[in-house]
Amino acid sequence: MLKKSRLIALLLMLCLVFPLIAQGQVENAPAKEIELRWASIWVGNDSKAPAVEALVAEYNAKNAGKIKVVVEPQPDYNAYEQKVRTSLAAGQAPADIFTIKFNPTTATFYQSNLLMDFAKVMDTPWKQSFDAGSIEQSTVDGMLKSLPMETAILPIWYNMDAFKKAGISELPTTIEGMFAAFDKLKAAGITPASQMTGDTNAWTSMIWFSHFAVSLGGTNVWDKSFTDPAFVEAAKLTKRMIVEYSTTDAVGLGAGGSGGHFLAGRTAVFSNGPWYAGRADLAATPFFNSIKIAGLPAAGSTKDFMISRLQANICAASSKDKAREAAIVDFLKFLTSAPSISKIAETSGAMFAIKTDYRPVKALQKQFYDVAAAAKTTAFDLEAALGAEVTLEFAQQLGALALGRISAEEFCALVDRKIER
Amino acid sequence: MQAVGTQRSRVWGARVLFLLPVSILFFFFFIYPFLFTIYTSFTSWRGIGSMKFNGLANYTKLLGDPTFRKALGNNVIWALSQGFIQVPLACLVAMILVRKPHFWRSLRTIYYLPNVISTVALAMVWVAIYNVEGPLNAILGALFGAEKRNWLGNPDTALFAVIFQTVIYIGYFMIILLASAMNIPRSLYEAAEIDGASTFQQELNITLPMLRGSLITTMTLAMAYGMRHFESTFLMTGGGPAYATTTMGIDLYLKMDALRYSEASTAGVFLILMGTVVITVLRKIFGSSDPMSEMAQ
Repeated sequence: MLKKSRLIALLLMLCLVFPLIAQGQVENAPAKEIELRWASIWVGNDSKAPAVEALVAEYNAKNAGKIKVVVEPQPDYNAYEQKVRTSLAAGQAPADIFTIKFNPTTATFYQSNLLMDFAKVMDTPWKQSFDAGSIEQSTVDGMLKSLPMETAILPIWYNMDAFKKAGISELPTTIEGMFAAFDKLKAAGITPASQMTGDTNAWTSMIWFSHFAVSLGGTNVWDKSFTDPAFVEAAKLTKRMIVEYSTTDAVGLGAGGSGGHFLAGRTAVFSNGPWYAGRADLAATPFFNSIKIAGLPAAGSTKDFMISRLQANICAASSKDKAREAAIVDFLKFLTSAPSISKIAETSGAMFAIKTDYRPVKALQKQFYDVAAAAKTTAFDLEAALGAEVTLEFAQQLGALALGRISAEEFCALVDRKIER
Repeated sequence: MQAVGTQRSRVWGARVLFLLPVSILFFFFFIYPFLFTIYTSFTSWRGIGSMKFNGLANYTKLLGDPTFRKALGNNVIWALSQGFIQVPLACLVAMILVRKPHFWRSLRTIYYLPNVISTVALAMVWVAIYNVEGPLNAILGALFGAEKRNWLGNPDTALFAVIFQTVIYIGYFMIILLASAMNIPRSLYEAAEIDGASTFQQELNITLPMLRGSLITTMTLAMAYGMRHFESTFLMTGGGPAYATTTMGIDLYLKMDALRYSEASTAGVFLILMGTVVITVLRKIFGSSDPMSEMAQ
């Protein structure tokens, strides 16, 4: 009996160990193939997902046996940002390739030795394929540890069907004209604008505030103290937008709710980036073909500008393995090539910092390109200019401003407190 | 003697062997992070690069930060609400259910059901309920003619709103108290009945004293949860509006978000200290004796 049980135990052990040995042999075979992990947010419902998936498949097919890119889906953007931050703090790159939203807060990542400095590996033709301004914005103290990939303009969206219903056929060209149009919309039973103070950045209202601030204070307004009269006036205008011309739930509302009001036709005016243009639920709205994209009527002396930002920069893990580094560079060259970017732009509506001949044919996406081209100058929005912490303070205090708990001057002073100069 | 000594050392050896895996895990997942948190709270560190020792600067900054002080105050309110509203409610329901009224089993399940639903799902439901155009305003308007309120967008009502939707979920503590109440010997109640005690007097003089140990435990747990509250408030209001609902947990998270890791660690140390103080005070006030355990011995 004892011998039988020992024999059975031995056989079981062999059954367990054998697959491990076999595993090892399978893993040994393609040792020369370099596997690159890409923690990608462009998956799932993201408008860029299908094109990106196709490009990765194309690249892997062309480089079979040499380089293989494996996408690690990151559908939850907030969780993904946490992963990036936590990994870097723990002394580990989150993946071989990953993206960040480049702003003063994430610029801190450049201090890490974990990121590849593209300034050292970029050849001239590759560098020249990027928009020079975006490269400059992404360079910190001579280091280029992230490549500008996706850019965005943040214009105002107008539902012209709703405007026509209120008897308005043309977009207002002055701020007074805008408020007059809003009064007409209200009289017609349509809430003029989506606004919000919720989430960590009060996104929609933050964009409106940015338009007001730049118009009143100039494109370098973000270099000024936040107690500057331009910001105080911008705060008053934003408060007026929330209190008089928005939905009753604007205070505390998140981006989903703000966008939802516009998608449902409850509000006539909205603000967001070009990635929103590729959404299926937007395309399904009855007023989709009547959406007009434009800048905000000038509230101050600065006109013909557009609020823009670097929406996503691509980073790579630094490596002492030259072959691995070369593989990363090779893939990123492919991903950021004009044909690849054109493919992504075509299906997603997103805009990029890489020069291409692509011009969209879909009406709404075309408007973004036309508006960006028509702008004589651009300026950052508040979050891109001043970072996450200041934006959070902005969002938190905006609710108090809208409810009349604090004055515009107090609001600006509170936000100014968070700015490190 | 030698055999006894060998036996003893074997027993100790076995104990050490059994405790070793959990001790290793406890060290790496609690002790080490705890010590690291304390260490980083005395440095200036943004998560990237080197740490620079800066003494008590983070503590001074934190205590002078009105947002942190607000968060601390909110956590005290949370702890008191959970300890002195949620637990007594749970106790009341347990005391009713222990008498096994009709459908007591169904009621027990209904009360516990919210505890098996994810906090995220519940928070999203309550966001919809509290919406200006939501059912709460509709019901209050229909019954009392009340005007519509933005419950989560108004600093005067937001904290009450988020606390309310947590405090009413008494299932977890109710189950603990119900289990203890069911172990109270029936003979005590029978004797009291014979002596002419009313139901109220029985509950006051028998049930409550016998539940003392469980009550202290549930209050300690409830207040500890209150001190480290984060999830539902973050999901519903993000700590706003104007930090009206912020808690130390949310403040810590947002500091981490802004790459202020050393300040986040300082907030973490405060959290631990406050929790320790609350539990110690509770034990001092209510003692740690448990009549049920004493009876069983």
